[in-house]
Amino acid sequence: MAIHIPILIIISPLLAAFLVLLTRKYKIILATTSIIASIVFISTLSSRILSGDKITYHLGGWQGPLGISLVIDGLSFFFSSIVLGLGLLVIIYSIPERRYSRTYYFLLLISLSSMIGIIYTADIFNMYVFYELLSLVVYLLIAYNMKGMALRASFNYLIMGGVGLSFFLLGIGFLYAMTGTLYIYHIAEQLPAAFNSSTRMVIMSFVLIATGMGIKIAVFPLHGWLPDAHSMAPSPVSALLSGVTVKIGIYCLIRMIYSVFSTETFSIISSSHTILIVLGVVTLLFGASMALVQTDLKRLLAYSTINQIGIIFIGLGIGTELGLTGALFHVLNHAIMKGTLFFCAGIMIAEAGTRDVQGLSGFGRQQPAITFAFIIASLGMIGIPPTNGFVSKWLICLAAVEAGYTILVVIILMASAITAAYYFRVIQVLFIGPPKQSSVLIYEGEQMIHGGNFFKSLPIYILAAGCLLLGLIPALGISMVKPAVSLLLSHVIP
Amino acid sequence: MTPINISLLVFMIGLYGVMSKNNLIKKIMGLTIMNGSIVLFFISIGYREAGLAPILEKGTTGDIPTTILVDPLPQALMLTAIVIGISITALALALIVRIYAKYKTLDIQELSKEQ
Repeated sequence: MAIHIPILIIISPLLAAFLVLLTRKYKIILATTSIIASIVFISTLSSRILSGDKITYHLGGWQGPLGISLVIDGLSFFFSSIVLGLGLLVIIYSIPERRYSRTYYFLLLISLSSMIGIIYTADIFNMYVFYELLSLVVYLLIAYNMKGMALRASFNYLIMGGVGLSFFLLGIGFLYAMTGTLYIYHIAEQLPAAFNSSTRMVIMSFVLIATGMGIKIAVFPLHGWLPDAHSMAPSPVSALLSGVTVKIGIYCLIRMIYSVFSTETFSIISSSHTILIVLGVVTLLFGASMALVQTDLKRLLAYSTINQIGIIFIGLGIGTELGLTGALFHVLNHAIMKGTLFFCAGIMIAEAGTRDVQGLSGFGRQQPAITFAFIIASLGMIGIPPTNGFVSKWLICLAAVEAGYTILVVIILMASAITAAYYFRVIQVLFIGPPKQSSVLIYEGEQMIHGGNFFKSLPIYILAAGCLLLGLIPALGISMVKPAVSLLLSHVIP
Repeated sequence: MTPINISLLVFMIGLYGVMSKNNLIKKIMGLTIMNGSIVLFFISIGYREAGLAPILEKGTTGDIPTTILVDPLPQALMLTAIVIGISITALALALIVRIYAKYKTLDIQELSKEQ
């Protein structure tokens, strides 16, 4: 039993997904239990992983290059705990909504399961298959409410995502042509030799994979699908997309840069760090300035995601220990903060009946607790102490100074100022004007309160508390990041 | 022209279709062409001139020269990729049906004007 834990973490939501289709009454219990079971499984491994150990599981008992292996190391443990944590909260948040049927929970569970699959698998083609499965489910979730805009957003994402994953698969093809294996660590072993004989093919495969993942992460020139997709999806799905799904792309990119195309083996990839920094800066400034002009609350939050991805990219690009710690910590923080913000936005939009920022006036007096959580998360996004966003931005700024890129600090501060401008605009509107007195909406609002407002606000309070906790005691988060960073910096091919 | 070059050419044709065509169906066709080109690419990686199917019969020992066997792994991978491609195409066509029912147009320029 104990050795089978890695596969059980993936199987548990996958099995529940199909069982959910069979039952009408117990769908929520089933979905929640399966995720909690996965969390229990993963927490039994936590002490081994955090002490720097690595767990390898061979599917069906087939070893190394022949079979598919699941590898849980510091990095994959870190990302999978974010996925499961936010996934559980998304399911809890969806409970009161009556319109989410069995299909919704089915899609949600499949998406969570495939995300963990991407994170754990050590077989690069298997990673592609899981990624394609994840994308398929995400397209469906975005189009879930069948509104015209949502259908268009989903279609746009499908086209972009399809092209991106085609690039990724072609890159895998080049890697296979050179090395004759799909096992990530074997590719890493073979690549230096392949680089000497066919330099161009190595560069080609790197470019293809990086572009494919760039589309999935929504780096600046490839971001076109993100604002529509993230804003048109149902609010819990938006939280999942912004908080976790985008990070899966970042995970794949980190794996490629640090585990497959490792820096020490060839010089050309070291220039990719500069490219990452440049892309990060452009993405950061573009996301911030586009968010500034949005009037739609969820679109604003979606552009804010692009903004924060820029910061993560800068941290990754600096590539020192401090920079990586900051970047990975920011991945965790962004998941927490964006989760809070999208959950709050869901309640605000449902209460106000409009997505327009101006239409939200008076919400601050109506629901002070939710507004307070929204403000905490916004402060985190801006990077004001004592919230978690401050700590990770501070680490990245420190790393930038240490590595000699002082200009980056100026850029990050500038972007933070723009971030402050657009979040304060929303917060200001929340407190202007009297509470809304529209009769129909109040009735709906009351129904929502009786129908389980508790389940909607519980995830928000948990996440907002997480923002403050990680801001006041950052050592908690950093201790999670530490094994991942030391793994990335060790450059050891296992 | 090796098969690999041809497959990359076809890939570019597909990419051109996705990027430049305004009709949603044509975009999906482009995506399918890209998918097909990748299948061609993988199969040509595994192809060996005058290669045999890699099937070992009962009783044969390991002294068969492996160079004349076709690499079976890319073929197995492509079966999966074809299935994935089909499901993506099916989903896209289903979305197109819904979009057409709502907007009565398949032109992406027209669609972007609609609210």
